[in-house]
Amino acid sequence: MTDQVTFPDAVQWAIPFFIAAILAEFIWIAVKGKGGRYETRDSVTSLIMGAGNIASDLMVGFLIWAGFMWLWQITPLNLGTSIPVIILCFVLDDLRYYWVHRFGHRIRWVWASHVNHHSSQHYNLTTALRQTWTYSFTFMMVVRSPLILLGFHPAMVLFCGGVNLVYQFWIHTEAIKKMPRWFEAVMNTPSHHRAHHGRNARYLDCNYAGTFIIWDKLFGTFVPEQEDDKVDYGLVHNIGTFNPLRVAFHEWVGIWRDATQPGLTVRQRLAYCFAPPGYSHDGSRDNSEQIKAKHIARHPEDRGSPGFEQFETDMPNSQAKRV
Amino acid sequence: MPLELLLVLVVGGIAGITLMMHLAGKSRVRTLTPESARSEWLRHVPDDDIIDVTVAHDGHSALIRTPAGNGLVWSFGADTVARHLLDFDWMDHPDGLEVFFHEFGTPKVLVRLDEFERQHWQHLLEPA
Repeated sequence: MTDQVTFPDAVQWAIPFFIAAILAEFIWIAVKGKGGRYETRDSVTSLIMGAGNIASDLMVGFLIWAGFMWLWQITPLNLGTSIPVIILCFVLDDLRYYWVHRFGHRIRWVWASHVNHHSSQHYNLTTALRQTWTYSFTFMMVVRSPLILLGFHPAMVLFCGGVNLVYQFWIHTEAIKKMPRWFEAVMNTPSHHRAHHGRNARYLDCNYAGTFIIWDKLFGTFVPEQEDDKVDYGLVHNIGTFNPLRVAFHEWVGIWRDATQPGLTVRQRLAYCFAPPGYSHDGSRDNSEQIKAKHIARHPEDRGSPGFEQFETDMPNSQAKRV
Repeated sequence: MPLELLLVLVVGGIAGITLMMHLAGKSRVRTLTPESARSEWLRHVPDDDIIDVTVAHDGHSALIRTPAGNGLVWSFGADTVARHLLDFDWMDHPDGLEVFFHEFGTPKVLVRLDEFERQHWQHLLEPA
């Protein structure tokens, strides 16, 4: 199939809106004296990361496009470009986003690309633009292949992915506390995504949704933001640099150093690349499950509460035990 | 979108937002007190017990003594970063001490100290 189908680049066309919304949020916070924090160097780093993300897309986009068009040529299916098909494509691409995002937190190789999005200790609209420069290194674009083989045109698939990212921009804010209940039930919202950006033990590895929060509810990763556990943004081990190059590549360098240290087995080297973040061959680091278990040991009263459901609720207050 | 327009939007947007934030006073660096240094350390390293805290006179760095060894917490924009002093080097600097971490994402930090503090901190860093 070689028919000509074109869709706009949603992210590029949204840039004027991004700038206007950042200005609006900044002024809102200044006037109201609440609803978030801004810091110059943190924001500049985020904005440069966003610009670099667009640049990296321009540089490698044609390769990804060529791969997708090859898939399009070999598939016998063509669902066309009607509105219902675009909507279906968007929903299925959002499911694709959920899993790629989940891989991004559970596989260190993919985390190395995604980590920079979480590297700010702030949570405002500039944080939304703190995007990866190294997504192509992860090869996660192959997860889009089934959609193309099912008959969704590559241009439509990329358009839906772009609209998804534009949707996620506005949820990176503390200025909006809660949306209406029906909206919170179905859609990803500022509240749900704040929890996702938390480094608190409770919020580790939750709320991977792009647009629809239903995926987290369906796959058991949903944790609602808690009034009594304010979200602490950033990484478990926050980085100490505003240098965009270091932000973009620090986890890749970490993988290299870990996996090439002397005296490891091949299995250990592979685990440093592909195990969940926090793996160490000598037990010197904690992964998210261990961090949660240590939290429960310090705060047994949190056992069984959102984010800690995997720990039994009726344990004596000695050592936390996983179900 | 034409590449020229994209460039103007991106460069102009970054420059404009940066200028606005700086002029609005958002470039100020966090100042630490013994209490805030303690709470910031526990925010970063919740498992630790703290023996004592030594804050540098400029309020931008604090040495934390714990049973597991020393740690450093320092201002990072409006926030803080903390590290145990396990895998590090330090060098004298005209303004104090420069601490080097062997970490690509946290390469070094300059701890500004006066002459009296410098000797005290050197003693704390190398008690032997």
